[in-house]
Amino acid sequence: MKIVVVGNGIAGNCVAFGMRARSRDHEICMLSAEKVPEYDPCALPYFIGGDVSRGAVFRKSLEDYRRRNIDLMLGQRVVAIDPRARRVTTAQGFEVPYDKLVLAHGGQLFIPPIEGIRLPGVFNCKQLDAAEQLRGHSGRRAVVIGSGAIGIEVAEALHKKGCEVTVIELLDWVLPALFDRETAQRFEAALAASGVRVLKSEKVLAIEGNGAVAGVVTDKRRIDCDAVVVATGVVPDRSVAATAGVAAERGIKVNRHMQTNVADIYACGDCIETVDACTGEDVMFQLKHNAIDQAAVVVANLSGDPVSYAGAYAFARVHFGRMHAVSFGKSTLSTQCQLGELTIVEREKGSDYLRLIMKENLIVGGQAIGGFADYAGFFMGAMRRGDDFAHLRRSRASVCSLQNRYRWTQRLIGDITGLC
Amino acid sequence: MTTQWIASDPQRCTACHRCEIACAMAHHGACRPELARIRIHCFEDPAFNVPVVCMACEDAPCIKVCPVNARVRVINGSVVTNEDRCIGCRACVYICPVASPAVNPFTGQTMTCDMCADQEDGPWCVAACRTEGALWIDDGQRCSLQSTRAQADRVRSARYGASGARAHRKGRMP
Ligand SMILES: Cc1cc2nc3c(=O)[nH]c(=O)nc-3n(C[C@H](O)[C@H](O)[C@H](O)COP(=O)(O)OP(=O)(O)OC[C@H]3O[C@@H](n4cnc5c(N)ncnc54)[C@H](O)[C@@H]3O)c2cc1C
Ligand code: SF4
Ligand code: SF4
Repeated sequence: MKIVVVGNGIAGNCVAFGMRARSRDHEICMLSAEKVPEYDPCALPYFIGGDVSRGAVFRKSLEDYRRRNIDLMLGQRVVAIDPRARRVTTAQGFEVPYDKLVLAHGGQLFIPPIEGIRLPGVFNCKQLDAAEQLRGHSGRRAVVIGSGAIGIEVAEALHKKGCEVTVIELLDWVLPALFDRETAQRFEAALAASGVRVLKSEKVLAIEGNGAVAGVVTDKRRIDCDAVVVATGVVPDRSVAATAGVAAERGIKVNRHMQTNVADIYACGDCIETVDACTGEDVMFQLKHNAIDQAAVVVANLSGDPVSYAGAYAFARVHFGRMHAVSFGKSTLSTQCQLGELTIVEREKGSDYLRLIMKENLIVGGQAIGGFADYAGFFMGAMRRGDDFAHLRRSRASVCSLQNRYRWTQRLIGDITGLC
Repeated sequence: MTTQWIASDPQRCTACHRCEIACAMAHHGACRPELARIRIHCFEDPAFNVPVVCMACEDAPCIKVCPVNARVRVINGSVVTNEDRCIGCRACVYICPVASPAVNPFTGQTMTCDMCADQEDGPWCVAACRTEGALWIDDGQRCSLQSTRAQADRVRSARYGASGARAHRKGRMP
């Protein structure tokens, strides 16, 4: 069987090496738009900031592919799929036949339609080559457009490099996808304390400069700078899938076996839309741990085990300086319309902050800063099991036992929050 | 190959904290419980003490969330932090179902149980708990050499190689 994997990212590699681990017989071919072996995009901000070396960004070496007999074709961007002839075509003119095709080409940087966005001095942090350019840049004043997790990480990296950093966020608070306003405000305090300027509810209108970036114009002011980093999110690339008639909405549609609607074409990673493990709604989280889990499902199914995917889960940590924070599950913004009546449980101790989003005595999400964040795993456990805290409150006196191995974690949650 | 990890019986734990001291001594040569990789959670009314230590989960979530791939499964099956890489982001602490990774107060990096692979006579915490018998070494799930190799950092796996496995067998409780 010839398996062709489109994309040399985390999902694609987990599929290729996972298949190889199961069988030596298949022919495995990977087509990569980039010219390097597998690396971890999550490490890029730390590479820019100098926390890790370039070598530490990589998850594989070229030798690994050779040793595992995986045919890695670098610099080959797939542009078309012909499902009838079972063949993919690359922009470079190669045609590769397949028996099973796995789409793992991730997402693309969303580039907002702003004047001057193509000027030299406008950077991003999506791929290694872009991160290398940013690391090599020796500017003093940088503007980061977008305050998502990547925007904040890049801001910290540039701050460490000695840049004067301004973060511009269109919405009312930073990290809007992860945090509610209350949590974000506390996090913003950490940013402000270290000298990073945060501008909220502000829209970038243009990037100015004559041959190179000189400033950013927003609807409220003009900011002098010599570098702009675009961190406005990642959108799935649906164009390749479309050539084969693969159904896609926000991302490529797959079933629980990671199969698309076209026979013998699977998809996993950042390019797909999937279900939330807790609520069952359609989601696109685009997170590394989900990509790894999904790839494992593809491997099992390609090998004839009809394993079904349990669903993706939201989990993200952010930090700035000494402040560490975490977000999991739903935030109020994402929950309001879908799940109805919510209760918010808040706890505060010095600069530590805990915010649990509850629906009918069940935890559906939460955010925590400082010491409370250490217990995120306990809360997520309760969320995934669907612990009913009204019931637990009634059975408060029951002793922990080896029969119920979670009982002590529930008591711990009770001690922290008073919920049970 | 089988993963081994430290199992515990909360009913027997008296919260004497000797295991924490032993752990800190074994890894850092210092009598400082804040450097321990095992931690006792104490509850009151009814009293109950739970020793918490890394379970070397089979499908370890901490490995998947580490942004710099510093959490690695080493050859003896333990999941440890590669100190050359860890940037102290705490993702592994937050994703762990029992918050087992401890943060080293001096370096900000995380640390978890490595089954005292460097020690001749096996895990010190188990030895420290002989009287109570609340800790022992348990044979875990099967952990394929394949998955271990795939994830193990090359340098670390060499360091924790055969001698690590030997140390375990010696340290086994009767
Ligand atoms: C800066 C940054 C920080 C992040 N931090 C975190 C984090 O802390 N935690 C977390 O969980 N997630 C994080 N993520 C997200 C995480 O990196 C992704 O979820 C994960 O990499 C998804 O893997 P993937 O294989 O689906 O896609 P990718 O890793 O994006 O890989 C896709 C690959 O396919 C290639 N490709 C694209 N199109 C084609 C084509 N047509 N033909 C051939 N090849 C193609 C690309 O070049 C790329 O190599 C971060 C992402 C970025 C960019
Ligand atoms: S640190 Fe936690 S999640 Fe990771 S292997 Fe140990 S117990 Fe499992
Ligand atoms: S604290 Fe260190 S080992 Fe843990 S996830 Fe972060 S970088 Fe990885």
